Amino acid sequence: MKVDFWGHEFEVNMWVGCLGGFLIAIMSSMFGFGGGPFMVPLMTVALGLPMYIVVGSSLLAIFFNTAMGTVRHMQFGNFDLLLFLAMFPAALLGGYLGPQIAKRVSPQVVKRVACAGLLLLALNLLGVY
Amino acid sequence: MKVKFSVLPLLALVMMVLPIIPQAQAQETASAPTITLDKTSLANGGEITVSGQAPAGAQVYVEVYAADKKVRANRFDGKKDPKTGKIPYKFYLTHEMPAFYKILVPKDMAPELDKAKAAGKDWKYSEVLKKTGADAAYSAPAKIMIDSYQATIMASIIGSRGKLLDAMDEKATKSESMKLVKGRFRGVGKLLGANVETTPTGAYTAKVTLPAGQAPGKYNVTVTAVTERIKDGDKETVKKVKSESASFENKVSFPTVYLASAGTSINLIYPFILCLCISIFGVLMGAGGGFILNPILVTLFPLPHTIVAGTVMPTVLFSQGSGIYNYSKIKFINWKLGVGIGCAMLLGGFIGPKLTEMITLDQFKFAFGWILIVLAGLMFWQTTPGYLEKNKKEQAILKEFKKRAEEAAAKGN
Repeated sequence: MKVDFWGHEFEVNMWVGCLGGFLIAIMSSMFGFGGGPFMVPLMTVALGLPMYIVVGSSLLAIFFNTAMGTVRHMQFGNFDLLLFLAMFPAALLGGYLGPQIAKRVSPQVVKRVACAGLLLLALNLLGVY
Repeated sequence: MKVKFSVLPLLALVMMVLPIIPQAQAQETASAPTITLDKTSLANGGEITVSGQAPAGAQVYVEVYAADKKVRANRFDGKKDPKTGKIPYKFYLTHEMPAFYKILVPKDMAPELDKAKAAGKDWKYSEVLKKTGADAAYSAPAKIMIDSYQATIMASIIGSRGKLLDAMDEKATKSESMKLVKGRFRGVGKLLGANVETTPTGAYTAKVTLPAGQAPGKYNVTVTAVTERIKDGDKETVKKVKSESASFENKVSFPTVYLASAGTSINLIYPFILCLCISIFGVLMGAGGGFILNPILVTLFPLPHTIVAGTVMPTVLFSQGSGIYNYSKIKFINWKLGVGIGCAMLLGGFIGPKLTEMITLDQFKFAFGWILIVLAGLMFWQTTPGYLEKNKKEQAILKEFKKRAEEAAAKGN
């Protein structure tokens, strides 16, 4: 499929994109997370697209998944309104404060810290300690 | 005249019922245990002492359960049946599981419970009930309404639970209810306790400990005294007498609230703070908070993984929506590409939530562990020099394009 973006034309292998997106969507809606960190590498590495086309378009693709996942979870009775009401304002506030703090810290350092933290959490979940 | 005729059949009915009542009373054996509670209400958990008089020499069991708060419990049976060698692929679902359930057994049964604890996650509730004799007291969940579905691969693909099967008989319901109870409450210590003390005369005392974070409302306590167990080959006849049920009230006050679909009470301040910290950190590292929030929520709080996944997902809808709006304002979204891949993701999102309820909490944690390892790998890759070099160029282009887009948008206005 040919995609036009700001005067540049890109050739996109939609088979790879759709299959990857489909699998990521199953995983992310099953476990209840966004899936952005998996979608961005899929579109930049596997589809070979430049970052500037990926940021917005991947968000749009993920939005479809989140919306559908939300509806389905509600249908299966997995949604708790009170817990949602406690977390939703916190997520909004976090989304507002986050970028302000982001200006003051180095993204490399944050990512290294996150990497260590994720590994620790993962080992905990796998029952290693 | 009319009145007289309508009274007649009623009278006949009463006369038919009357002889039955004395019979039922006659069948009841001598002395049912008495039951007294030292408190009638608790504030978000606490301890209550149950005492009374049971027949001398009887084994005394105390059953405690949340009487008016019920929760959902489900189980997917994907294990090979050792007898037939077939995988049943059945999905069991109930909405009537008591939000709290515990049986206290005589003190001398403690070694049995320790053995079950030593067996780890794979302990069998029905076996322990049998060994401790507590199956005589197992009654509240035994008659819950359980729906069973025959799941097929095709049904899973279209995201359905499968075909609803006929209702199970009493025995099958009881046996399945035990599996659901175990799946819901998991720990040996949560379901059973060995602290009923009896004196030779039959006076008993037991301490009921209700942990914090349980459902509010009415709790029922019943005492079952087993006077005799007659073994006849494989068959065991249990002679038992049951007390009337006593009850107490568990009170929970704000900010601790009861989450009906999760079946637990929780102080809302904790998830708020947790979510705030994690979403800030999520923005910094460029990954949504769900990756960290979900595993922490299921680890720290007694929340089912289905509820966690289903509740965290909608919290990001708004931020994603506003992100899309901001990008679309500067025409930074390729709709063809986004909608194209989005359609595939729509399908995936349709199937995923169905799979959440088919796995157990342990499987959820295990799979999540591996996902996080992959994510950590991706994060690390994004800090390697090669990636940074490439990213620098990309970011420069992105900035340039954004500037142009903003200018174009400004001109348009």
